[in-house]
Amino acid sequence: MTARGVMRLIAPIVGVVGFLALWQLYVVLWDVPAFKLPRPTTIIDHLRSDPGFYVRNARTTLWEAFLGFAVAFAIALVLAIFMAHSRFLDQAIQPIAVLIQVTPIVAYAPVVVIWRGFGLQSIVVITAFVCFVPFLLNGVRGLRSVDANLLELAQSVNATRREILMRLRLPSALPYLFAAARIAVGLALIGAVLGEFFGSNSGLGYAIKVAQARPNLRMQLWGSIYVLAFMGAATMLLIGVLERVALRWHSSERT
Amino acid sequence: MTALATDRVPSDAQIHIGAVGKIFARRGRTTEALRDVHLDIREGEFVSLLGPSGCGKSTLLRLIGGLAEPDEGAITIEGFEPRRARALKMFGLVPQAPALLPWHTVAKNVRFLTDVHSRGNGPAVLDDAGIDSLLATVGLSAFTHSLPHELSGGMQQRVSLVRAFALGAPILLMDEPFAALDEITRADMRYLLLDLWQRTGATVVFVTHSVAEAVILSDRVVVMAPRPGRVVTIEEISLPRPRTPDMEDAPEFHAHVQRLRADLRSSHS
Repeated sequence: MTARGVMRLIAPIVGVVGFLALWQLYVVLWDVPAFKLPRPTTIIDHLRSDPGFYVRNARTTLWEAFLGFAVAFAIALVLAIFMAHSRFLDQAIQPIAVLIQVTPIVAYAPVVVIWRGFGLQSIVVITAFVCFVPFLLNGVRGLRSVDANLLELAQSVNATRREILMRLRLPSALPYLFAAARIAVGLALIGAVLGEFFGSNSGLGYAIKVAQARPNLRMQLWGSIYVLAFMGAATMLLIGVLERVALRWHSSERT
Repeated sequence: MTALATDRVPSDAQIHIGAVGKIFARRGRTTEALRDVHLDIREGEFVSLLGPSGCGKSTLLRLIGGLAEPDEGAITIEGFEPRRARALKMFGLVPQAPALLPWHTVAKNVRFLTDVHSRGNGPAVLDDAGIDSLLATVGLSAFTHSLPHELSGGMQQRVSLVRAFALGAPILLMDEPFAALDEITRADMRYLLLDLWQRTGATVVFVTHSVAEAVILSDRVVVMAPRPGRVVTIEEISLPRPRTPDMEDAPEFHAHVQRLRADLRSSHS
């Protein structure tokens, strides 16, 4: 590994550990009471005291987030393909996408729970809603990003729409879809946690909701936050790895 | 202008362009891209369309290739309409930019035109050995597994050339393929192109704004002028084949260049 490669691996770890150390230092030096802000070491000790509880709830939340993410991706891609081919559909659907994006998810999450009922379905719908717009907008842009020379080249041998889609549009859209996925990962976790607030009795979101009202469960609040942060970072890393493999050809992967 | 209609209409013309006009309308303003263009191109001929930007040379190329429709007149390719000829895969297009698929290797890129709409492939489509031999001719044998971004601009354009020849199409349409290359690379590319062309005997319609390039490559040079886009004159190039770099120092070459420059100048004033 090159010196640059080593640095790329070590620098983020130094950053995160440094941040936690500053946090610890602040709590210790200023004598902050634990119920306001516990030490990172205390939180980690708490996590170690009951790992089963966190693994169980993390699994639930991760599964909900994944389902919502996948549903949003699938629907958005199909719609984006139609929109990339029809200016009318594009202009008709864009405002709906904007409306979904600008309406705070917290505002309509309760309605979704009334509509789909208490449980997994509602949470997946809420999660899919928040992930949908980045996939849709980036998908349309990506599918349209094909080099005009390439399109003409395909036309010169009478390529069908389907061939242009499969051979030119979808591969060209891939970098855009990965960019959307990076945004959507964070949104999916927000959606799942929020969905659990309103429509579930399990998962990390539910654990937070329960702990918020009970002083004796305060550490559960912090434990859930840490696990969520870890999950988000891990999925982000996974997407980064997939992106590096899938987009070896793309300019963004060149250093 | 009217003299051009009878300029030379060889009966064995492969590409026949008769009284073609094309008008572009944009925001209420119309531009006459082409007016009353007559041109016949024989099978196996190397013809350059030479002129300043805006003279309609690229438009004419796209009309021949069935990528746009003329507003007046008609074009036939071996008796077919351009769109029909396109469906029969009679055209190998070399666009201005190399236009390679960035996610495919050189080996897959040179197969792009043959893989798309592959039922339409003509009988002359090259097999793997044929393509390998073309890649060797242009010096890319060692790069078949490289991705486009790992190649220089000149190498990318060579891939684009091989891609067009791989189709085995009877007609090659080239839209200023060397315009983006530096002068030295560009000079080499001319002879590479002639090499490939001589092996296949395909007809080439070559758009350029370089006088020297047009002379050294072509059998005939069609001089075009803008506003409206039209054919000014057609110059027969008398240099023998095969063309070699030292011909660029021959008095004959310079005589052609001078005459063409004068034609270009006079069509401007």
